[in-house]
Amino acid sequence: MTIKQSGYYNALLHINLTTGKITKKGICAEDIKDYVGGRGLGMKLLWDHIKQPGINPLSEENPLIFLPGPFSGFPIPSVSRTCVVTKSPCTSPIQSNYPHASTVSYSNFGGFFGPEIKFAGYDGIFITGKSPTPVFIQINNDNVEIKDASNYWGMGTDKFDKIFIQDLSDRRYRTCYIGPAGENLVPYASIIHTASRAAGRGVGCVMGSKNLKAIAVKGSKLPDVADHNMLVKKMTGARNYFKGFSRGKILSNIFRKNGTAFLFEKKSKKGQMSVKNFQEGTFPQVDRINADAARNKLWVRNYSCYCCPLSCKKSGVIKQGKYKGLLVHDGPEYETGTMLGANLMISELEGIMKLIYDGDDYGLDIISAGNVIGFLMEAYEKGIIDKDDLGGIDLTWGNVEASIKMLEKICSKEGIGALASQGVKALSKKLESGSDFAMHVKGLEIAAHNVQANPEKGISYSTSNRGACHQNGETVKKQNSITLIDSLGICKFACTTPLGLSTKKLAGLLESITGIKRSADELLMVGERIFNLEKMFNYREGFGRQDDNLPERFFNDAFTIGTEKGAVLDRDEFDTVLLKYYQERGWDTKSSKPEKSKLAQLGLEFTYS
Amino acid sequence: MYRNKRHFNKERRHFIKKIAIGSSAILFSFGLPIFSISSSAEDGKPDQLASILIDFSKCTGCRTCEAICSSFNNLENIDESLMPGIGNPYHANIKVYNYNPDIDVPSVCSLCSDAPCIQACPISEDPVTNRKALFRDNKTNAIVSDPTRCIGCGNCQEACKNESSGIIRLNRATGMPEGICNLCGGDPQCVKHCPYGALRFEKQTINYSFDRMSPDEIAKQLTKQNYLI
Ligand code: SF4
Ligand code: SF4
Ligand code: SF4
Repeated sequence: MTIKQSGYYNALLHINLTTGKITKKGICAEDIKDYVGGRGLGMKLLWDHIKQPGINPLSEENPLIFLPGPFSGFPIPSVSRTCVVTKSPCTSPIQSNYPHASTVSYSNFGGFFGPEIKFAGYDGIFITGKSPTPVFIQINNDNVEIKDASNYWGMGTDKFDKIFIQDLSDRRYRTCYIGPAGENLVPYASIIHTASRAAGRGVGCVMGSKNLKAIAVKGSKLPDVADHNMLVKKMTGARNYFKGFSRGKILSNIFRKNGTAFLFEKKSKKGQMSVKNFQEGTFPQVDRINADAARNKLWVRNYSCYCCPLSCKKSGVIKQGKYKGLLVHDGPEYETGTMLGANLMISELEGIMKLIYDGDDYGLDIISAGNVIGFLMEAYEKGIIDKDDLGGIDLTWGNVEASIKMLEKICSKEGIGALASQGVKALSKKLESGSDFAMHVKGLEIAAHNVQANPEKGISYSTSNRGACHQNGETVKKQNSITLIDSLGICKFACTTPLGLSTKKLAGLLESITGIKRSADELLMVGERIFNLEKMFNYREGFGRQDDNLPERFFNDAFTIGTEKGAVLDRDEFDTVLLKYYQERGWDTKSSKPEKSKLAQLGLEFTYS
Repeated sequence: MYRNKRHFNKERRHFIKKIAIGSSAILFSFGLPIFSISSSAEDGKPDQLASILIDFSKCTGCRTCEAICSSFNNLENIDESLMPGIGNPYHANIKVYNYNPDIDVPSVCSLCSDAPCIQACPISEDPVTNRKALFRDNKTNAIVSDPTRCIGCGNCQEACKNESSGIIRLNRATGMPEGICNLCGGDPQCVKHCPYGALRFEKQTINYSFDRMSPDEIAKQLTKQNYLI
């Protein structure tokens, strides 16, 4: 018997696609308290399910878990996130006893999906098995069905988004789905929602391996909360925080005006942009792709996620030129615009937009895809590969048409695409060259924030539990805080210090929902617990100190242009900082394994048997 | 269901006095608004009601209005006192419809001056109150259903669908009309809490072709206008 915890249903929807069995199972109240939801609860469920290291991420055994957080669905600002947790098909350690060793993957996306899971009456959806034929899952409160999706197989995400909702004949359904990349098992395939919001970092490949095209969900419930009065008061307070003359208002104004595109200018100036496969940190043509350019040429409106006062997303259409009429569902964002723009030396905004559209339509992780094409461009320039290897594509820097073709090849795994779809680590290994400029950590491609002039970002990338992650946080404290935020169902952007909601405010909201009184520091410890459990999962798979590394480029190739000209990382300094990081974490400095005392302090004794 | 009884704001009464009779809704295009809404309620045509006006250049589709409407109009009994509910948008009277290409259409009762829904109601007028099972509240001008007389025939739903925006739905259990905006007793909460100021409760000053259109039709027009399709 599970004890009912306020603010939750204590119910997980289990779906086994091999047997077609659908069950509602309880969740242990202790786990809810200790891991709260989202990324945290997902990690605990993954740990409990995968009892041994080395299982194949694309096997039936690997669960694909969709999780809202405790905040999801209540009218609290920006509670839009859905976290997807699974064992990663993208990562691999330098050395391990297990052929399929990989890290955890957690990825979260905004929009309306997570709240709707909550409305349907579940704290999460736990999918295992593999359907013999393509299917989708339709959830309407307690009514759950697995249905045939053969007609949709092969369909791009934009078209599917339009047609699927029509076929469901009810616009109140919220859907997420994979594109051809996920179907073709490209490791870095994404799960897409509203044709552009994406859970990247490999989770779409796992969905594809289960022959699961889509999930549609709708519902009419919300769980009871511990202190109704207090929650209504705190929710109103949190909404008001973004109004009037407040810090929240300043924050929302930044996002409303430019979205994450406000970063282009800023990052380029500081030498923190990923340019030319991370060779440079400054993009001289940045004014051609920045927020002002996008506003003039593309944007039509702001588009926000559930109950969000920030609306960082910009929708539009390409208004002129070759791609006139092409929809812009989102963009460019800093991340997508840089990886398929500056990183490839492309400064033609419409071309970047076409690439982003194609990437989303195929259902590819654009960070990885842009990184892979950047690697190939450099390898082509250096003569490591030639035009024949590329199937006739003249993959020069800045070449939009060639990049479009490459994306297509990656998605279909055709020709060079078969290898390129495996990511830069596999590429450089196979080519037996270029490992010094294969920009990944633990096999996962690095994102649009360059490191040479921003060493702290190096810690974020190297210590992240899902492989190179720009959102991991640069310090222990920040990492714990972000892990917590990822577990609550609220968006990081609304909680970014110093302008966003404080951890104290989050603690107040959580207390009124769950009735469990916790200080801000105690909550940060939840984040720490989750981070350590992820680490133990990875450690068990064989990831150690040697895997918390950065590509050689950051230590060797100094910037040649921009205000940060000459910037490069110092290896010794990196080692020292990493050492200090381990000490602060309470991890063994040689192996990187969390010390027993640390695990005991966090209630993670069960991990060291 | 008629849940129009909580009063959260005393100033409301004052505001109601300004409202004349008649109705319809106004819409803007994205970017530059084609029409501007006059700032004072008195400027409108004399036979028009104040109604909920949507500025599509501002709406971002965040659905805060849904959540707020749902919590304000689904009061929960907590320790013997009625509190706003927590807000599942499913129970809201304003519904935001999401489309691809990215368009969001908040859809709410247009407060039609001729109220086809009432006209379609087959229940005879009560000799004392002059009301059918569906009637116009004479204080707020909102359309109200009387569950004690409603027979759940669904005529109002049909009428609203055919002649106006189609916002009426029938309760699955009782068959009675739901989803009709009650104006929160005269102080529309969705208007108050929209983070983007996209909603206004005002008298319209111009007849706009989008008035009384279904979300699908509105989306079609806005798509054409904004995405060159
Ligand atoms: S709250 Fe305002 S911006 Fe948000 S969906 Fe409703 S009308 Fe649009
Ligand atoms: S319910 Fe429908 S028909 Fe009746 S006033 Fe409202 S929009 Fe018009
Ligand atoms: S005025 Fe009140 S009842 Fe009507 S849609 Fe707005 S919040 Fe709902």
